[in-house]
Amino acid sequence: MELSHDDVKKILEIVDASEHLQEIELVYGGFRLHVRRGGPGIAASSEERPASLPSSKPAAPVSTQAFPAKQPVEAPLAEGEIAIRAPMLGTFYRSPAPGDPPFVEIGKRVRADDTVCLIEVMKLFSSINAGVDGVVTRIPVENGTMVEFGQMLIVIATSP
Amino acid sequence: MPVIQRLFVANRGEIAVRIVRACQRLGIEAVVAVSDVDRNSLAARLATRAVCIGPAAASQSYLRAETLVAAALGSGCQAVHPGYGFLSERPAFARMCEDAGLLFVGPRAQSIEAMGEKLAAVHIAEQAGVPRVPGSDRIETIEDARRAAERIGFPLLIKANAGGGGRGMRLVHEARDLAGAIESAASEARAAFGDPMLYIEKFISLARHVEVQVLGDGKGDVVHLGERDCSTQRRYQKLIEEAPSPVIAERVRRQMTDAAVSLAAQVAYRGAGTVEFVYDPESQKFYFLEMNTRIQVEHPVTEMVTGRDLVVEQIQIAAGEPISFVQKDVELHGHAIECRINAENPARNFMPCPGRIEVWDPPPTGDRLRVDTHCYPGYVVPPHYDSLLAKLIVHSPDRSSAIRSMSEALAGFAVSGVATTIPFHRTVLAHGDFRSAAIHTRWVDQEFLPAMTAATSAAEPPQTQAAV
Repeated sequence: MELSHDDVKKILEIVDASEHLQEIELVYGGFRLHVRRGGPGIAASSEERPASLPSSKPAAPVSTQAFPAKQPVEAPLAEGEIAIRAPMLGTFYRSPAPGDPPFVEIGKRVRADDTVCLIEVMKLFSSINAGVDGVVTRIPVENGTMVEFGQMLIVIATSP
Repeated sequence: MPVIQRLFVANRGEIAVRIVRACQRLGIEAVVAVSDVDRNSLAARLATRAVCIGPAAASQSYLRAETLVAAALGSGCQAVHPGYGFLSERPAFARMCEDAGLLFVGPRAQSIEAMGEKLAAVHIAEQAGVPRVPGSDRIETIEDARRAAERIGFPLLIKANAGGGGRGMRLVHEARDLAGAIESAASEARAAFGDPMLYIEKFISLARHVEVQVLGDGKGDVVHLGERDCSTQRRYQKLIEEAPSPVIAERVRRQMTDAAVSLAAQVAYRGAGTVEFVYDPESQKFYFLEMNTRIQVEHPVTEMVTGRDLVVEQIQIAAGEPISFVQKDVELHGHAIECRINAENPARNFMPCPGRIEVWDPPPTGDRLRVDTHCYPGYVVPPHYDSLLAKLIVHSPDRSSAIRSMSEALAGFAVSGVATTIPFHRTVLAHGDFRSAAIHTRWVDQEFLPAMTAATSAAEPPQTQAAV
């Protein structure tokens, strides 16, 4: 009944390989997959809905958009890259206060003891340090979202 | 729109699987909290999503109230189910959930608080007309203890006010042992619960443990679902439970269930709860022991004989719905027995045996046989948590056929890689005392295990001879 990440990947490969297919929508139980070809590359979107909701209704307010029911998927690290991972579950913040500039941006050089982000659990903020010297190459988490214990927050390319 | 669309499971193991399945029945999405070692657990795989809340140690994951609340909010849940153990009976956790706008699947914080303090619970029971074991109020000094002992008589039990699980508990047979026992119980209670407060109760020998399952809607409506007999215990830990009790008469059953209902109604109890009694088969009297404010490990035996889904009821009550049935619709059919299959070695004093399960082949399940488990072949039993692997539950028209089906089910349950309590259960079920329901809560410790040890050492040649 459940579609795995690999199943979705296979479906995308099939769509990708067929020349005449422009757009498909697949509904499978509580799962909806919408793939459209054309424009800048392929846009793929998928969401999970509570099985009880009919497919025509939009998702409930406290649902999929703000709080994805999906497992975060990690892209692999390139050689020389190091991931800073969440030492605790909490809310991820890129800047010291709302409106302030972020601690780091992609391309910025950081030192091991620089603060790169904050994690908040019930109003308690923890500063997260880079831990290594290098250049920020990726920030795969959106500001203000929940991160799990061990989740990849920021990727740093260490200087050779 | 339903009140609960997504529910957070703040627990692990078989009960997390059980709660996820109840959510599936209700069309609710389940988000399961997992520690680092539980990332690939069965509950995580069955759930809509798993959220990693911290490292393996429970103190840094399943016991972190703030983290669990943040995870429930961050994953868009409207309710939190605490399961049993961990934070399920911490009033602060229930309060924290409700303050954060999350429905707590359980009673109100003040009910948990009142029942958690054993003496406060005893007083509530007395107000509801439920008899308590002859006993004392707070014991603050050795002098208090002496006076209480004189009135109550020996043997007596010292208990911790904040107690549970047998910690801070001492059985005292003679006056000269009283002072030492009070001191050690107080320090154990302080270490375990941060509260050294004690009280004393008369020790009822050859007693049975009988408990009544109740459900309350939080507005004063309370129903009971009959009793469970959990007298097969080792060191106060339940090993086999059954429903109904094989030893109580219909008249006693009615009095006991009435007492449980009036106690729960007294506090307008919300959710599933269990009122525990000590039952003295000789005098046919029962006494209030304590009330557990959560779903119990042994709830399936009640589900088997009543045909009701207690976890589904819990979630619906938390959503503000009424109990889905009324008292007169509760009918008890047949007899159910549950054996707790633990990763423990009965031949080595029940030493816990974490490790990789190689073969995991439970007997085929159906209407008459149920297995509640989170295990599968290749599963690694982590050393960080309790040793419960599975609950094997059978349902039959009567007790003797239930014992027969359970014996067959145990014989057909193949497990390798870790030692389990399956051989222990098979011998208990074959024992005449268990079959004739002549056991009591100390029977395993005082009679069954010593006899087993004696039989084993008689069968094996002594070590000295073997070495020659």
